[in-house]
Amino acid sequence: MRFPFLKLAAAAALAVSGLSAALAQDKFPSKPITYIIPFNAGGESDISARFQQSVWEKHAGQPVVIQYMDGAGGAQAWAQLNSMQADGYTIMGINLPHTVLQPMMKNVGYQTDDLTPVHYFHYTPNAIFVAKDSQFKTLKDLVGFAKSNPGMVTFAGSASNSANHLAQAQFDALAGIKTTYVPFTGTGPAVTAVLGNQTLAGWNYAPSGLNQGDAMRMLAVAAEERMPAFPDVPTFKELGYDLVGGAYRGLAVPKSASEEVRKTISGLIAKINADTEFRKKMEAGGFVMTEVTYDKMPAFVEQKKAEYAKAAELLGIKKQ
Amino acid sequence: MDMLGYLVNALTPLNLLLALAGVVLGTVIGALPGLSATMAVAVLVPFTFTMDPSSGLIALGAIYTGAIYGGAYAAILVNTPGTPSSIATTFDGYPMAKRGDGGLAVSLATIASVIGGLFGAICLLLLAPPLARVALNFGPPEYFWLAVFGLTLISALSAGNTLKGLIGACLGLLLSMVGVAVVGGDVRYTLDMPTLLGGIDITSALIGLYCVPVIIDLVATRDPHLKIAEGDRGTRLPEALRISSGEWINMLRSSVIGTVIGILPGAGGSIAGLVSYSEARRSSREPEQFGRGHPGGVIATEAANNATVGGGFIPTLVLGIPGTPPDAIILGALLVQGIRIGPTLFNGQADIVYTFIFGLLIATLLMLPTGLLMGRYAYKSIVSIPKALLAPAIAFLVIIGSFAIHSNIHDTYTMLILGVIAWVLERFGFAASPIVLGLVLGKIAEQGFVQSYLIGNATQNVTGMFFGRPISILIIVASILTLLYPFVTAYLAARRRGGGLAGADQAATPMKYRDTGSIVLALLFIAIGIFAITGTADMTPLGAVFPTTIAFGLIAFCLLLIADHLRRPRAPGTLSSADPAATPASAWRRATVAAALAAWIVLIPQLGFAVASALGFVGVTAIANHDRLSPVRALAYAGVALITVAAFYALMAQVLLIRMPAGLFF
Repeated sequence: MRFPFLKLAAAAALAVSGLSAALAQDKFPSKPITYIIPFNAGGESDISARFQQSVWEKHAGQPVVIQYMDGAGGAQAWAQLNSMQADGYTIMGINLPHTVLQPMMKNVGYQTDDLTPVHYFHYTPNAIFVAKDSQFKTLKDLVGFAKSNPGMVTFAGSASNSANHLAQAQFDALAGIKTTYVPFTGTGPAVTAVLGNQTLAGWNYAPSGLNQGDAMRMLAVAAEERMPAFPDVPTFKELGYDLVGGAYRGLAVPKSASEEVRKTISGLIAKINADTEFRKKMEAGGFVMTEVTYDKMPAFVEQKKAEYAKAAELLGIKKQ
Repeated sequence: MDMLGYLVNALTPLNLLLALAGVVLGTVIGALPGLSATMAVAVLVPFTFTMDPSSGLIALGAIYTGAIYGGAYAAILVNTPGTPSSIATTFDGYPMAKRGDGGLAVSLATIASVIGGLFGAICLLLLAPPLARVALNFGPPEYFWLAVFGLTLISALSAGNTLKGLIGACLGLLLSMVGVAVVGGDVRYTLDMPTLLGGIDITSALIGLYCVPVIIDLVATRDPHLKIAEGDRGTRLPEALRISSGEWINMLRSSVIGTVIGILPGAGGSIAGLVSYSEARRSSREPEQFGRGHPGGVIATEAANNATVGGGFIPTLVLGIPGTPPDAIILGALLVQGIRIGPTLFNGQADIVYTFIFGLLIATLLMLPTGLLMGRYAYKSIVSIPKALLAPAIAFLVIIGSFAIHSNIHDTYTMLILGVIAWVLERFGFAASPIVLGLVLGKIAEQGFVQSYLIGNATQNVTGMFFGRPISILIIVASILTLLYPFVTAYLAARRRGGGLAGADQAATPMKYRDTGSIVLALLFIAIGIFAITGTADMTPLGAVFPTTIAFGLIAFCLLLIADHLRRPRAPGTLSSADPAATPASAWRRATVAAALAAWIVLIPQLGFAVASALGFVGVTAIANHDRLSPVRALAYAGVALITVAAFYALMAQVLLIRMPAGLFF
């Protein structure tokens, strides 16, 4: 019984807006949008969506409803995205490198190019952490130790074949060292292992550095420039390693969504991204804002695909 | 501000109301298998944005602790843990309910949950910073040994039937390997089905393994689901208080175990319950009564799992590391409010933290009156609802619950398939609990093992990594004690009677006959073991080591079982596995109810959730009904069916915001 009304509303919105895309943005949405997180609650995807939710209504004129659909590291939800309503009232969180690496490794029920991301709005950079009392004061200490003790440096990270794991492989290649990556079942357990000196160091995401205060030391961060939340932590680039990356998060719509819908959602996310209150909270939380809007998407995804394909080779990933 | 001030803060009418409402809502959510505290907490997060931070925290904490407690209702009354935390509650809670002590079991669970919850919250209040260090000292080898320790419970759970218990555990362990290994990244045993990549969901497996056999047996006879004690005495609070004070050591020990395990991120309430159950059984003077309805079993589990709530908040608030999924959401909610969790929280924003902890204490205390009231109501309704409505209501709940976990209909299929398998296995003496233990502990054991090996290998000290760490050694000793304890006591008892061990065995158990069904099943399991071994061909060495070891174990245990059965005399009659039922059980009802459940699930994506469920409800009512229906009664049943379906549809779609399958209708 909701559908006729929905179609009517969509048709009306289209008819009224007609030529002007800007006008369409004003009419859409006319009811709450459902925002599906392909993970369980409590992770970075959820937290950043909650940050968006807190200012959403101000920009969209309607609230947003967050739902969860976790399973198989997000694959379960992404495999179903294209069978959902394409009217713009159902949008889904989308992540990199997940949506590139998963189909590369196994049959997950979707291909990277089946998905339609419309806006990547932030990323959490990879960073190397050590416990407060660690012998490594700087990245140079760690690289030096790793050079003279191949394989001895253990890194705790979140899961195998993840952004953390890619960073470890990329950095090993860049620095000419050999280290051991120890996968944990998530950010929490991995950070615990670093704090408890179970491993010598950790490849984690930058926001982890905020909750632990001075119990952990961040040696370097894989961001373009120093992060406002960590003004004293050098970037890998500064230290001579060309390493920028982490987990990117954005919004996707079903493939059958019209250009109109894609642009409208992208525009809405961009508007929220420009909100100073939202930006301030995100940056204080250790997230790095990005503005990969719909028009910049094809180039961005192609560039990331090439980068991950190269890194996947380092990890020895092949389709099973 | 001093402690008294924080306490006064927590006692504002709004905070009290939030604590009360949170506990009630949490209990209801927890009592429904599949609906979890995580869901309820996640839905409420946006409302806390506009609230005072400590009030928001109190509401979320109250829901969380209520849900962990509510899980006991389903465990006791329908043999299905409402949350994984109450797995071990089923071991004694359901047998108690079966024999007419359901009300008593609910009261015991309430008292134990309140005591355990208070203990955990007081530790959070007074000892949080030093206790947080426990989480840090617990490394991969300790997790590995903790899981092994949990597995030793099988020897106690399947006393007299150890081989079948071990086989069940191996099957559960193999099931836990299905999917993408988080550690190692191997894709294992997915049969090329994308839906299996996420593995077998523990909650949907729990619902299937424990509850589907209950439904199948429920419709088969006209006997009541639970025995009603002579002159039903309701919740029997004085009796429960007397038993609880007699079990105070058990209560205290379980609360300590629960708090400590709650502090470990990645362990959780299910393991806390299992470990304290195991310890309670070992130190009990009547361990053979555990598993047959010993009140101590309910007390141990429920005290421990509610203690994990306070325990779980310790690493969350002190280290910024969430101990459990609901903790992670609460942490996120605080971040959105701009509150910085972690070491500085206790100093910088002490008022928020301490007001919250007092609120949690109050919410836990409120669980006593609300729990007793709701428990009484839940028990009364379960015993008074006619069977023709009880069976479809439980069936509806298991379908809802298994769907709601990930809004995924495939979890519901998994639930039903595992449930039917469990029913068949139970007929041949393979109990569900060892399978569940294997499934729950398998991942933790394997991950701990692989991580320990990787770290040990990097530091060239694999042996020291596994056997040289003080906490590990402690857990290993406890495991060995638990493993050997039943044998030692049996041996001592036999010595006292003047016979050997073998003599005791024969005296204790009646003559055992050969069971062809068990032999056939064992052969089937050997085939599964061989499949599991050949399936490791394209895995990495680290991904293959665990499944290979377990598969070899499975095959060995099956061969032993076959040899044992071939040694036995043939049974005199043909009824080798007959169960002495009070009234003749109806085979066609059993078969049709399983088929009806399958049809119900298949129809959901076609017709929509509500329509398919209304049809399914009516269908199962017809199967479960053993009497002639008057038109009035039939109409009343149909009305109840419609109202139940509508109410739960609204709860899921509108309140918990679960994505429902669209289908043709709704």
